Amino acid sequence: MVPDFLTIAEAARLIERKELSPVELVESRLDRIARLDGRLNSFIRVLAEEARADARAAEAEIAADRYRGSLHGIPIGLKDIYETAGVATTGHSKVMQDHVPRADAFSVARLRDAGAIVMGKLATHEFAFGGPSFDLPWPPARNPWDLSRFTGGSSSGTGAAVAAGLVLGGTGSDTGGSIRGPAAFCGLAGIKPTYGLISRVGILPLAFSLDHAGPLAWTAEDSAIMLQAMAGHDPADPASADHLVPDYRAALQRDVSGLRLGLVRHFYERDNEANAATCDAIAAAARTLEGLGCSVCEVTLSPLADWVACGVVIMLCEAYAIHEENLRRRFTDYGEMFRDRMVLAGLITGADYVQALRRRRELIDELDRAMESLDLLLTAAAPTEAPPIDAVGKFSTFERPLLTMPFNVTGSPAMSVCCGYTDSGLPLSFQIVGKRFDDATVLRLAHAYEQATPWRDRRPALQ
Amino acid sequence: MTRQELDAALARLGLDVPEKERDEIAGAAHLVEDMVARLRPVGGRDVAAEPAHVVRFPEG
Repeated sequence: MVPDFLTIAEAARLIERKELSPVELVESRLDRIARLDGRLNSFIRVLAEEARADARAAEAEIAADRYRGSLHGIPIGLKDIYETAGVATTGHSKVMQDHVPRADAFSVARLRDAGAIVMGKLATHEFAFGGPSFDLPWPPARNPWDLSRFTGGSSSGTGAAVAAGLVLGGTGSDTGGSIRGPAAFCGLAGIKPTYGLISRVGILPLAFSLDHAGPLAWTAEDSAIMLQAMAGHDPADPASADHLVPDYRAALQRDVSGLRLGLVRHFYERDNEANAATCDAIAAAARTLEGLGCSVCEVTLSPLADWVACGVVIMLCEAYAIHEENLRRRFTDYGEMFRDRMVLAGLITGADYVQALRRRRELIDELDRAMESLDLLLTAAAPTEAPPIDAVGKFSTFERPLLTMPFNVTGSPAMSVCCGYTDSGLPLSFQIVGKRFDDATVLRLAHAYEQATPWRDRRPALQ
Repeated sequence: MTRQELDAALARLGLDVPEKERDEIAGAAHLVEDMVARLRPVGGRDVAAEPAHVVRFPEG
């Protein structure tokens, strides 16, 4: 009997020892999908037969002592903006519902090379931006901790599927917080890696200069395993960094004592006021990290609204340019939330866009200066626990400044980590931010925190 | 933003927005206008202040 919940690391140990067959593991996930996903709506498309065939192939390879590593035989899901050869990649939109790519995205090919088994395509906000929407060809994903709650977005299906144990890990994308938001609301570990670390080739774009691909998983260790497979130079992506990829999992074992952490408290206590449960959980997390030997000091940056204004204006302009032609020809084929947000984008001038890029350079310099004497920053990932799904308004993403957007503007690695639960059992979170290309230290601190706290022992009580 | 201003902008953009959505969009336009206003420092910038991601041609 395969347990309902396994981390990637746990399953990999069992598979390597031949104590768990990839075929059994995949069948157990397919059974779980069949039982639970009718309520979660996390999958757009389940690739059952393909997954079974891949599992049999993995089992045969492992039996022949050709074990590839920690993702070999591990069931994962792909946000439906990651292109898959011969399988529709829709962006959760009527506009692209018949789009069948010829090739896998670069990062998907790397995950398959590492032995991961793709279980299917996962729900997203329309083109990673418009959601949660109820007027698209597929319904929005629901939060496994409380089905009436929002998953966060836009990697909504990945957040739901990983938290519910339908897959052991999944892919997301993050232009303003779309990995870290679902990780926060679904109680996961979600890292937005450094800009340029993972190729964007074969991933439907939202905003070229802000889009980051990355994994969502249950733990920092699982995130390290997935990031290891996904990262790497791709000459076909003009933003891809030709940078040495370190051994992220090995880096988790290093001590965190002596790390210098800067707490950006004003982001969530003044600029976008978090509720008491979130503030208390972050304060407790900071004390835990001090107990592990880190030093914590307070850091003041420009107001959060400045960072978000810069990021949102760039995001809207780049997204509008991508969708301009279809918006003119097929406006009502888009969902109302996406298309009406895009109309606001059309009101921004070229001069505004260039001013945002100039502001971006200033903000990048500001963060670099602030981190000169620090290793990492801490702040909130979300101001509250997951809200009710029907309380998320069409323009709500513009009404309160996103706590995650500053680090899309700077391209810094940033991770959402679960740091407790509300009285009603909903996950709380905080954010760890590193220097560009120091993703390993972000993962190391997250791992040490998870090891020092009990939060990874609790799972959603789905029947 | 007034409805008339929005209608003129939509005509310029070539967008066929359903009538029932227009008032809501006009009512939300200030959210983006507020953000745009934050991009320009009081007193302006040095004329030579470059944007992020300036073009870099390959060496060769």
